[in-house]
Amino acid sequence: MSDPFEPEQLAKSFRDMAGDIGAIASFAGYVRGEAGAVEGLRLNHYPGMTEAEIERMIETALSRWNITDCHITHRVGDMKVGEAIVYVAAASAHRRDAFQAVDFMMDYLKSEAPFWKQELGPTGAVWIEPREQDKTDIARWDKGLT
Amino acid sequence: MIKILFFGRLSDISETLTCALPHGVSTINALSNWLGEENAALGEALSAKGNRIAKNQQIVAIDASISDGDEIAFMSPLSGG
Repeated sequence: MSDPFEPEQLAKSFRDMAGDIGAIASFAGYVRGEAGAVEGLRLNHYPGMTEAEIERMIETALSRWNITDCHITHRVGDMKVGEAIVYVAAASAHRRDAFQAVDFMMDYLKSEAPFWKQELGPTGAVWIEPREQDKTDIARWDKGLT
Repeated sequence: MIKILFFGRLSDISETLTCALPHGVSTINALSNWLGEENAALGEALSAKGNRIAKNQQIVAIDASISDGDEIAFMSPLSGG
């Protein structure tokens, strides 16, 4: 979505929709100011493909962990410091599956979903590419670590 | 006709292109080489490590075939979240 959102409102909607569950784990990511060096972020995506890839990831999470539901909201376009970029949540009977599903979905979004990020600062827009840590994080799931 | 899209850093170098499938081009690798002959800066960027390719919005390998009507996307390393 291109408009700002409040993770707290999404959390409430997700809780209301999840019904009779024992656990919800969630993650919210925000634009960091880096002590004034960053004024905002620009997120580009591939309309059509990005949505389809996220759907595919949700299907993977639902089949891999014992979760009853999960949710992803991801901003695109220009956003300001302090605004939410992403909100991910999973509901399950017990905590472990919910934690792991959220962890997996965030690692995936960081390095495998079709998004491209630029930092907007005093000197203009700078492309941000995945850190080595992001690649290591996603590789954990290929090794079957659950 | 084919449509060629560029994402991330690559989008700084080229706009979306819509063109006839170049003569003799039947794989994405060949298309990438053809683009490099047309625009050396683009050719260099396309060979950078970590780029991905999608054909009709599905990730494919560089040796994937290409035919008339395809939508090809050259993508810089992905960075969401």
